[in-house]
Amino acid sequence: MENYSTIKRIWMIMVREWRILTSRRIYLIAMVGAPLLCVLFFFSLMGKGLPEKMPVAVVDMDNSNISRRLTRQLDNFKQTDVVAHCTSFHEARKLVQKGSAYGIYYIPEGLEHDILSFRQPKVSFYTNNSYIVAGSLLFRDMKTLSILGSAYVARELRYAKGQTERQAMAEIQPIAIETHPIGNPWINYAVYLCNTILPGLLCVMIIITTVFALGSEVKSRRSNELLRIAKDDIMTVMIGKLLPHTLIYFLIITFIEVMLYSYMHFPCQNGLGSMLIVSYLFVLACESIAVFFYALIPILRIALSLSAFFCMLSFSISGFTFPVTEMHPILQTWANVFPLRHFFLLYVDNALNGISFCYSWVSYLALVLFMFLPLLSSWRLKTVYKYDVYDI
Amino acid sequence: MKRFFKQIKEGISDLLIVWYDELRSILSDAAVMLLFFAAPLLYPLVYGFVYNQEVAKEAKLVVVDLCNSPESREFRRLCDATRDVNVVATCTNMEEAREMLRRKEAYGILKFPSEFSKCLASKEKANIQLYSDMSSLLYYKCFLLTATEVSLKMNKDIQICRMENATEREAEVTITPLDYEEVAFYNTQSGFDSFLLPAFLILLIQQTLIIGICVLSGDTYDRKRFHRMTPILRHKRGTFRIVFGKALCYLMIYLISSFYLLFIVPQIFSLPQIGNPLHIISFLLPYIVACTFFGMTLSIFIKEKEAPYVLLVFLSLIFLFISGVSWPGSAVPPFWKYVSYLIPSTFGIHGFLKLNSTGAKLSDISFEYISLLIQIVIYFISACLIYRHRIKQECV
Repeated sequence: MENYSTIKRIWMIMVREWRILTSRRIYLIAMVGAPLLCVLFFFSLMGKGLPEKMPVAVVDMDNSNISRRLTRQLDNFKQTDVVAHCTSFHEARKLVQKGSAYGIYYIPEGLEHDILSFRQPKVSFYTNNSYIVAGSLLFRDMKTLSILGSAYVARELRYAKGQTERQAMAEIQPIAIETHPIGNPWINYAVYLCNTILPGLLCVMIIITTVFALGSEVKSRRSNELLRIAKDDIMTVMIGKLLPHTLIYFLIITFIEVMLYSYMHFPCQNGLGSMLIVSYLFVLACESIAVFFYALIPILRIALSLSAFFCMLSFSISGFTFPVTEMHPILQTWANVFPLRHFFLLYVDNALNGISFCYSWVSYLALVLFMFLPLLSSWRLKTVYKYDVYDI
Repeated sequence: MKRFFKQIKEGISDLLIVWYDELRSILSDAAVMLLFFAAPLLYPLVYGFVYNQEVAKEAKLVVVDLCNSPESREFRRLCDATRDVNVVATCTNMEEAREMLRRKEAYGILKFPSEFSKCLASKEKANIQLYSDMSSLLYYKCFLLTATEVSLKMNKDIQICRMENATEREAEVTITPLDYEEVAFYNTQSGFDSFLLPAFLILLIQQTLIIGICVLSGDTYDRKRFHRMTPILRHKRGTFRIVFGKALCYLMIYLISSFYLLFIVPQIFSLPQIGNPLHIISFLLPYIVACTFFGMTLSIFIKEKEAPYVLLVFLSLIFLFISGVSWPGSAVPPFWKYVSYLIPSTFGIHGFLKLNSTGAKLSDISFEYISLLIQIVIYFISACLIYRHRIKQECV
């Protein structure tokens, strides 16, 4: 074994690693099972794009022709479902507190009478914003209904004066806004969430499983054996050990991206190829972070705790739910140490907006820079492997 | 009678032995200490800090004014004056504005066509185009709401101007025969912190607790230490005593950290808190117990102490979405809904949100409360079976 070439040594470590990966069920679950479960879960949860038929309670104190028409129209909105007709506001509020409705539409007594006699009655609507997604979607529908309700009456008045529809509408609404949500014209929540959550969850699995795999060598007291095969060269060990992992993750993330852009047909302006390049860089960056974490704290459980904290935080700080530009300046700087942040920026540039490389090279560079972390920490990993200290 | 007392005495002493043993292994394990103490202490602070700005303000908008009329300038000024939108520049053509979007110097474009004022003057409908970057829905919401509000206001003014010989009130009523008002319940500023943090805190209790329990159980399994419990198992109802003793230990620790999580953290970030503390505490007790037995049951899958991190961390996000908070519960498919009934956090999150944020009483959340009690019974039985099995397995 003395005069084996480096390639041969890497190959031997790879074969050894492959045997470990296939012989233990935990790797199968973590590297393949968990990501697939996540894909299945999020696609079946958000397959429709936007939550539909959200329950709302109507309090109709008037019970007139106009009020019933308002109720019917509210029910007709795709995202709204009138589940209860309450006789008092108190009753409706109880429903909201129980969580069986997310909003209340209140129609006061004498609505029709007041409209006909030009007394400008007032309807009110309430949304439970403790559930912010449901709250804001219902808010939108109930507000549209109220504006439309007013416009409806105004239009009828103008018809009565002999105006055409075009004239009437131009008078009721002199200025109209046409919205163009760039890249996601359906305002599809699945596009908005899945594209970052699924790679993010894979990032969780990559970092934690890689740390686990690195630490398990020391735990089973076989790390010396690795160094012996590699002739004391830690880079050979790392390459040989992580190549099989990398191949599996490449396959998985290719599957995820193909599902997103070819099966679900989410917008991908620059083509699937560009997203795949981004994804592969992302996988490598995650693995590098994992190596760094383990070398930093070679006590397996503590390194895993740190990884878990880091991964879960990356969902919040990557800015796909709450924009990073709105966070505290300190956090805006720190967001850069999370690979998921750069992945998100590159996804926005490549898939959503389809703009060229020269606007997003910084994020590519950042992902590449992560890959230097193992080089920085390799000497320490070598010490750990040599003196395989597992427990303190 | 004498035997009865003897049994009680023995039971209590067994309970205390298990309790003391468990406490010692918790305190001597740095990783479990991190999970049980450091994570609940620090994580909410970081998390609250991330979302502390609550809402997006002054979203950057660029205006393309091809018309350059008093009306379009007025519209621009009104947009700029709102809290939500900040007009960063006025460009002369679309390409310039799009370049700003690519450079992320702005996130939306408001375009006035060249015939904008002409249309208004000739009583035709005048359109304004609003383009928004969709990387963040919050910015989109800012732009859309602001543009709608401003257009409603300007429409009203224009119509009043056009109406000759009418009193102000008369014009107002003709334009809006039906008025409306909007009220945001419970989370009045529609903030992110107030919405996510309560759910997150409850989930944090469950996740740190089950991972911690699985790490402890994995550790015992790793070092083959289950046999230490054999003397107690030989006693009558020994398994009950072991499971109860351990649960008592976790409950004690988590009552303290929950107090911090649910009463002090919301104070720090001034989140909505209108619940009755007594009701919250009496809801918290079954929740922690259910999480404990749930964790003990899950430990059947754990054969070494590092495995819980690999197998349980990623589930946190699934548990959050399945519970129906960030994704409305009414839109969760039936299959996942039934799965969610297996997880204590589903009921914990809803119950706590209702108690704490909407000021419901215990009687309003009887569904969640009873579900948690059912979970306690089921998971208690499964936990007993599993622990008994493991201890016996090791003795053979």
